[in-house]
Amino acid sequence: MTTIGFIARNALRNKRRFILSVSSVAMSLFLLVTLQVALRELTNPINDEGSTLRIIVRNKVSLAQPLPARQLATIERIPGVAAVTPFSYFGGLYKGDEKFTSFAQFAVDPVRANELLSDAKVPAEQMKAWVADRTSAVVGKMTAERYKLKIGDRMQFTGQIYPCDLEFKIAGIYEGTADDRNVFFHHKYLDESLGNPGTVGTWWVKAASAEEATLITDRINKAFANTSAEVRAETERAFQLGFVSMWANIKILIGGISVVVVFALLLVTVSTMSMAIRERFRELAVLKALGFRRRELFAFILAESFGLATLGAVFGAGGAWCLYRVLDMQTLSSGMFVMFEVTPQMMALAFSIAAVLGLLSAAAPMIGVARTSVVQGLKTLD
Amino acid sequence: MSVPNIVTIRELSKEYRQGEINVTALNNVSLDIAQGEFLTLMGPSGSGKSTLLHIIAGIDRPTRGVCRVQDIDLTKLDESGLADWRNQNVGFVFQTFNLIPVLTAFENVELPLLLTRLNAKRRREQVNTALELVGLAERQKHLPRQLSGGQEQRVAIARALVTDPKLIVADEPTGNLDSNSAQEVLGILQMLSRQIGKTVIMVTHDPKAAAFGSRSIHLEKGELTN
Ligand SMILES: Nc1ncnc2c1ncn2[C@@H]1O[C@H](COP(=O)(O)OP(=O)(O)OP(=O)(O)O)[C@@H](O)[C@H]1O
Ligand SMILES: [Mg+2]
Repeated sequence: MTTIGFIARNALRNKRRFILSVSSVAMSLFLLVTLQVALRELTNPINDEGSTLRIIVRNKVSLAQPLPARQLATIERIPGVAAVTPFSYFGGLYKGDEKFTSFAQFAVDPVRANELLSDAKVPAEQMKAWVADRTSAVVGKMTAERYKLKIGDRMQFTGQIYPCDLEFKIAGIYEGTADDRNVFFHHKYLDESLGNPGTVGTWWVKAASAEEATLITDRINKAFANTSAEVRAETERAFQLGFVSMWANIKILIGGISVVVVFALLLVTVSTMSMAIRERFRELAVLKALGFRRRELFAFILAESFGLATLGAVFGAGGAWCLYRVLDMQTLSSGMFVMFEVTPQMMALAFSIAAVLGLLSAAAPMIGVARTSVVQGLKTLD
Repeated sequence: MSVPNIVTIRELSKEYRQGEINVTALNNVSLDIAQGEFLTLMGPSGSGKSTLLHIIAGIDRPTRGVCRVQDIDLTKLDESGLADWRNQNVGFVFQTFNLIPVLTAFENVELPLLLTRLNAKRRREQVNTALELVGLAERQKHLPRQLSGGQEQRVAIARALVTDPKLIVADEPTGNLDSNSAQEVLGILQMLSRQIGKTVIMVTHDPKAAAFGSRSIHLEKGELTN
């Protein structure tokens, strides 16, 4: 028998209790990691280097209010503007999806948008084909894979914001952006379908440099001040963060649940552990009599509670990690979650909580053992 | 006096303070125990037998007086020093056996050896020797609940022996046993003192058990009579 063997034998003496405590730690940490993953997914705007360069110009009144198409010429002339394209969120329901389409469709000017989509990789001939065919579109690789689409296939959308339905032929498939899900198509095609209203949803502007971006947003805002369509220009990042702030309350809620989970976990583990040790007080006194010193008994208790908590973390956090690698959360959540990735930080958090748990649940039994003399311990009844 | 003393006790007192009242468990006890003796401690309940035994075994401390075992003044040792000393010099046998229920007979006996530097092979040899001495070589793999009371107590004696201590202390070791098992256990303790020179100190209520010893002393209200 080794010391480790002795500790393991002690921990496993009440197998049902052991299994229940490990599972309660495991399930709580699983829940905690899941909440953290969801939280990150909901609040982290997808960021890429381009997002500090790109500016979104929308109607000052609201995002739903269109902008006049003639603003294009003014924006183009503003110093520091490297490129600009109309950029309208179509928001159609893809044929085949029942209630909700998880990828966005944007009407753009293909030639102008090329500058803004600098990180999207599209083979040159596909790009050419897209520019040439007014009813064609380029599709993000993730969407293409999800719906098993290839070049030449057709996609049909029912308009939900705009009163028209659209059908595109896939001219190209792009990848390399932070979110390879979107569909881009000709703004002209949208205009025609709507009877050329002469409006766009928003303008998508590329700044010449990231340093100038805020300066340029100011210039754009000023250029349309006191016109019939005042605008609000902001960098893509700021724009996304605006969306994110909607989630702030949810973030607080999830944070709150996480704290409660951890606290409940603590109570359960501490009480189980002290129960497990209290039952053994007499045995611990016998061990003391046999010559085991206080520090050795502390080590036994710590090893046992650490072992229990760590095992829980391995199953709980490790289980979450494995599960979310294997599961296709994008499909399961109808596109609400894309990555659903357990980060190393979350694993570290789960294991740190387990470590603290091990420490805290060992504390009370250790104090008890330290305070009890051999003679007192021997007098306790089993 | 050719046999040296192993235990020397001088003017030993132990008092417990319970609120206002002082309980005197031991009062000015002086005693010499020779090496290889089988000493039995008798006396009515509450006379201080266990208290005296605990002090000699280094798990309790006197209020006053001297307790020297093999020229070591136990009152001078700190907690961890006492623990080491106990591991090397004392074997314990309790009335309620106090085996670890999740460990086999072999592992229970091996337990005190985990504190030594012996390797697994040497440990195995020592455990086997101890189990053979108490006649339980065949029961190594049994858990305490698979043994009779008498067998459990013999495993406990093997555990007390395994580190080869000079001193074996037993507090009413036959108190929970039927008379046959008691006889066996007492026979083993007697053999340990007679044949391998262990000093055995045993607390008992039973005059028949005391008859196995080489000397008997009586405590009455914390004082030695006779
Ligand atoms: N922790 C304690 N606090 C107060 N008094 C104590 C304590 N432990 C023992 N005593 C008292 O000390 C005296 C001697 O106790 P001890 O246990 O040594 O008696 P004993 O001779 O072993 O009795 P028994 O035969 O019943 O085991 C008793 O009067 C007891 O009440
Ligand atoms: Mg007693």
